[in-house]
Amino acid sequence: MQQNFKSSYNVHVVRILLTFVGMIIVGSLLRSLLLPSEFGDYGHYRPGAVTEEANREMRNKTNDSCLDCHYFVKKIHLKGVHEVVSCEVCHGAYSDHVKDGKVIGEMPVYRGEEIKSLCLRCHNKIIRARPPESIKMIAMPEHLEEKNVRTDHVCNQCHHVHAPYKWIKEAREMMGLPEKWEGGSSWKK
Amino acid sequence: MEEITKIKKEIDLDRRGFIKKVLSGAIGGSLLLVMPATAREIAEQIPGMKEQTDLFIADKKFAFVVDITGCIGCGSCCIADKNEYQVPDGHYRTWVERYIIDDHDEVYVDSPNGGLDGYTEPRDDIKNPIRDTFFAPKLCNMCENPSCVQVCPVGATFRTEDGFILVDDKRCVGCSYCVQACPYSVRFINPVKHTAEKCTWCYHRVRQGMLPACVNVCPVHARKFGDLNDKSSEVYKLLHEPHVISVLKPDMGNKPSLHYLGLRREVI
Amino acid sequence: MHEILATASGALGYVFPNDLHVHWSLMIVLYPYITGIVAGAFIVSSLYHVFHIKALKPLAKFSLLFAFAFLACATLPLMMHLGQPGRAMSMFLTPNPSSAMAGFGYIYTAYAFVLALEIFFIYRVHLVKRRQETTGWQHAMYTVFSMASDNLSERSLKLDRKIISFLAAIGIPMACVLHGYVGFIFGGVKANPLWATPLMPVIFLLSACVSGIAGIIVAYFLLRKIAGKSIDMDCVRTSIKFLWGFFIVDFTFEMLEIFSHGYMATAHWHTLHELLWGPLFNSYWVWQVMILSVIPFLLLGYVSIRKVSDSLLRIIAPVASVMILLQVLLMRWNVVIGGQLMSKSQRGSVDFQPHWFEKEGIFLSMVIMVLPIIILYVMGKVFPFWHDDNQSEV
Ligand code: HEC
Ligand code: HEC
Ligand code: HEC
Ligand code: HEC
Repeated sequence: MQQNFKSSYNVHVVRILLTFVGMIIVGSLLRSLLLPSEFGDYGHYRPGAVTEEANREMRNKTNDSCLDCHYFVKKIHLKGVHEVVSCEVCHGAYSDHVKDGKVIGEMPVYRGEEIKSLCLRCHNKIIRARPPESIKMIAMPEHLEEKNVRTDHVCNQCHHVHAPYKWIKEAREMMGLPEKWEGGSSWKK
Repeated sequence: MEEITKIKKEIDLDRRGFIKKVLSGAIGGSLLLVMPATAREIAEQIPGMKEQTDLFIADKKFAFVVDITGCIGCGSCCIADKNEYQVPDGHYRTWVERYIIDDHDEVYVDSPNGGLDGYTEPRDDIKNPIRDTFFAPKLCNMCENPSCVQVCPVGATFRTEDGFILVDDKRCVGCSYCVQACPYSVRFINPVKHTAEKCTWCYHRVRQGMLPACVNVCPVHARKFGDLNDKSSEVYKLLHEPHVISVLKPDMGNKPSLHYLGLRREVI
Repeated sequence: MHEILATASGALGYVFPNDLHVHWSLMIVLYPYITGIVAGAFIVSSLYHVFHIKALKPLAKFSLLFAFAFLACATLPLMMHLGQPGRAMSMFLTPNPSSAMAGFGYIYTAYAFVLALEIFFIYRVHLVKRRQETTGWQHAMYTVFSMASDNLSERSLKLDRKIISFLAAIGIPMACVLHGYVGFIFGGVKANPLWATPLMPVIFLLSACVSGIAGIIVAYFLLRKIAGKSIDMDCVRTSIKFLWGFFIVDFTFEMLEIFSHGYMATAHWHTLHELLWGPLFNSYWVWQVMILSVIPFLLLGYVSIRKVSDSLLRIIAPVASVMILLQVLLMRWNVVIGGQLMSKSQRGSVDFQPHWFEKEGIFLSMVIMVLPIIILYVMGKVFPFWHDDNQSEV
């Protein structure tokens, strides 16, 4: 019994193929619309990302940039052995403090016992992993016992934090102790 | 304003005494308010970078050298890095490891909070006498064959023509494949942005002629950064003179541009 | 001290600070599990359509629908896992040719098309008939589903049969690519000693076949029981034989991989050894290997070789299949999670404990595993599962 069909025998296949082609066309159109501009010009990436990264805000500056304003610290810091230590490590990032030449926030300043742990971060002898060629280390409380002082002394009672030998050298000069320092007027060794 | 006149008066009265007070912190920075705020351009640390305005840096091939024999493990680099990028807690663009080797050749490694808080305590779990101990800072290796770039499905991490591997945080889908692929574990997913993040050798600073933040703050110059095309640069000399110098995991085949001076085989 | 926000629950030895996070968790365990079931179920239908294993006829249609229901959910765990799911389309926009992950979008879509088309052609007679029988929205739906064609002539059906064989034939390599590829996503990570092996795609593929067949057997028993219909024991016997066959090869490769790692004992073996005899000991050796592989292996071997009674088979077949399903799930877990437990420091490992209600937690995993079953149920309303359901045959 031969039935009569309205549609031809392969119309469903044709329609599927057409849908398929349509999807590919729409897909590639969408792709060209949505593709970020210049994508692939230099490699498989968006070149704009390079510029964005290059223009990221610089939050840390240099010691010099702090010393532009901190004139008194400058006079001390640059003459001492701590010249090599970064202000921002002990005080925080530049951009939390200054923006467009204006002070916008206070800098944290270590006080009292905190100073001790700050100094010991770099100078602690118990942490034996420090190469002695890089840094001089002290053991606590032996360092203070040597000096015959109470062991609750804080480092900045004898060492100027910005130039550790400043006061010590001044004290020696005052006492007329033998001069074992080089470097003329600086407080380096 | 009242305070400034007061300060000025005080200066006139007793200059020396005043300065002493400033030094002792009694007046502190307030004096600075009177001084003109001179926002001077800071000097370039890498000469000639400010003139470069093209998309990529021309004629320079940067390399990073870490001196393991110099590092004191103070964590200044970690502080600077965290400040520079406001890295979320528990994630590290750079970190410092402490190695301790006892006389039985047992190796003990730790890195509490990535060294960010410094090393304040000796390890008390080591029974044998210590033979040797040192610090090893870690950061992005800037590979010539970067695994992270290879696996990124969408091209959100890439190697620029000047040799930096950067992350496009506007396109990253946060699949973490790069985190899995990096042999050095320098990548993480930023928990705030939900995208991948890693050390960029401070690309933005370098573009403005500044050294990477960690290099700039290192008090003992254990981190060195420079241009290999410049034969007078320190890194060029270090890499071309007979020094003990190597890269991490060379068998991975990634060809890092981060080199370690005095690298010890215990460092992985 | 800063509180360390880690997704690992503890650490042993020295772990790189960034390795305290297990980035790929339950969702990425489910992802290869689900795609594996898809690939395996498709193989079952191809065994009938391409290799003419007549005994499997009762399962031929059902396994396609089963595969499709799971395929529909395969991208779900991926989307749940992505940090930026809104950008997922970038995988299609800018697939990185060098990335082992970038092709998944395209391979997945192509495979979904093949599967959908095959289902369409197999059910076309049924769809056309239903279109004529129904009215209103159902009629509209069937019109779309039957591509608005009413031609059921012998010539048209012959064309359909040709297309079905063709689709089933290209479907096999595609299913293999789909799942071998998922294995390669892991196998290509050279930084991870547990993953980086050329055997990974093979093992993934074989375990996929195994989980697909086992899944179909379990579903067959379950759904027939619920519908109160008879179970074709001949069909079950044949599927069990295939399950055993695939499982022999799968299990052998899994063991071979560990064995050759251990035998070659490269620098990585030290780390692997520490992992497999450390944090993974229970989930790998005790559960995956001893309990969930050896026992079903023996059970399947026994029922395949010996002539066992139908009533015994009725118990053993579903039990062994469930065990195999769990074995494969555990294998995914041990590979995906296990691989991340060892730090790239090669000196330590972390622990990982999934939580119930986190972003990629257990609860969500269960929802995702139940979802295909719901989809299957809904599909069953339009596409009858069984050949003895009241409908005409192709
Ligand atoms: C634009 C000039 C300027 C620059 C540049 C600058 N400061 Fe200051 N700083 C000031 C002024 C003004 C004050 C006083 C603000 C106050 O007391 O509120 C101050 C105060 C301080 C204090 C003391 C805060 C206190 O509570 O006593 C510290 C520490 C400090 N600055 C450190 C730095 C460091 C480190 C840098 C470089 C990263 C820096 N400053 C750069 C202007 C500057
Ligand atoms: C070793 C860590 C360290 C470094 C490096 C350092 N400071 Fe300080 N700074 C301190 C400490 C600690 C104090 C508090 C001094 C005290 O109480 O004796 C301080 C005090 C100050 C003060 C005065 C604030 C006050 O209230 O006493 C200023 C201004 C200042 N520092 C600026 C700088 C600048 C600028 C630099 C870089 C050139 C710098 N510091 C480098 C640790 C440091
Ligand atoms: C970020 C690390 C760091 C911190 C914090 C630090 N120092 Fe230093 N300090 C150094 C380095 C590096 C040197 C060696 C400089 C050199 O030799 O050029 C040094 C040198 C010294 C010296 C001279 C040692 C010598 O070479 O003879 C003294 C004394 C000293 N520091 C005391 C202190 C005190 C006190 C503090 C706490 C306020 C402190 N340091 C904090 C890094 C640090
Ligand atoms: C009582 C005063 C005093 C105090 C308090 C003090 N020091 Fe010193 N320190 C000295 C003197 C004096 C020297 C000069 C070198 C010497 O003769 O030991 C010195 C030397 C040093 C040196 C160089 C050691 C060397 O081998 O050359 C370091 C580092 C140092 N001090 C760090 C500290 C630290 C850190 C603290 C706080 C924990 C501290 N000092 C507290 C007086 C003091």
